[in-house]
Amino acid sequence: MQLCVMRAQEVWIRMTSRAVLFGAVAIVAMFLVHPCMAQQPGTFPGTKQVLGLEGVKHNATGILTVQKGTLEFTSGKKKTDVPASSISDVVTDKDSQRAIGGVVGTISMFGPYGSGRFLSLFRTKIDTVTINYHDTTGALHGAVFTMPTGKAEEVKQDLLAEGAHTTIPTAPDATAPPAAAK
Amino acid sequence: MTRTHMICALTLAVMASVFTASTGIAQDTPQPKIHASSIQILMVDSKEVTLPAEFQVALYENLVDEVQKTGKFQHVYRDGDRSATDATDLVVLHSTVHGFKKGSEEKRQVTTVAGATTINIHCQITDKTGKSLLERDVTGKVRFFGGNLRATYDFGKKVAEIIRQSS
Repeated sequence: MQLCVMRAQEVWIRMTSRAVLFGAVAIVAMFLVHPCMAQQPGTFPGTKQVLGLEGVKHNATGILTVQKGTLEFTSGKKKTDVPASSISDVVTDKDSQRAIGGVVGTISMFGPYGSGRFLSLFRTKIDTVTINYHDTTGALHGAVFTMPTGKAEEVKQDLLAEGAHTTIPTAPDATAPPAAAK
Repeated sequence: MTRTHMICALTLAVMASVFTASTGIAQDTPQPKIHASSIQILMVDSKEVTLPAEFQVALYENLVDEVQKTGKFQHVYRDGDRSATDATDLVVLHSTVHGFKKGSEEKRQVTTVAGATTINIHCQITDKTGKSLLERDVTGKVRFFGGNLRATYDFGKKVAEIIRQSS
């Protein structure tokens, strides 16, 4: 009888340790896979379309993709494409926004004892990308996007590589070795 | 009548006279009428003033949106639209920025009184030959709520109101 109980305990411990091991492997795998997905080339999650794209609501958040000669913005079920070759200008800039935004942010503005004002001091840096493009009739459109800081230049480079144009050429990379003097 | 009552009465009288005067000024200015079935909106010109690209695009897009919302024109053509060349009875809206002060959303939210963004734009509506039909200076502002780009929305709303009144 005692032997049977000990055997059952041994099995239970073995199963528990296996479950813990499996959980640990799953967590490690999750951390490894997540950055890989975020770093997928030409994909910029967490982009906000401030205004300009046809059929997309103002301030809609979604995924910006620059691939196969097209700029694509997906927000929920809505998807809008702009051919990169039709983009006549791409300009990047920097800005900041309130860390606590949206409806909660607006409500917090009316917090007592100036707490709303105090919360406004906490801000996150963002990048902005502005594009001008022409549709099939030649009509000029513009669109403004905001995205996490450091991504705008990447978007610009990807768009230029896909055939877009710009009036403000990208500054030469400061880390690049200087050209040989003649 | 106590002194407080007299002060209240005087304040009310001053406010009433200011309101009457401002209404009178608005009514005295004749509104030129525009009769056209289509309008072409040109990109906002910012050669005089350095205007960030996002503001220029937002001004243009808000202008197109708000003019479309007025419902005063059958067609609202954008800058460069080839189909506008065939349109008869077309007027063209030109906008030139001559003043821009970029405020700070943070300052507005923290202080309430500082950090306003202001854009001064000269708007001109011409016919196809370039003859001026209407000219106005419009100021887009954001004082309290919203980001700096909200000034461009304010501008669009004001231009749309001018168009509503003049057509």
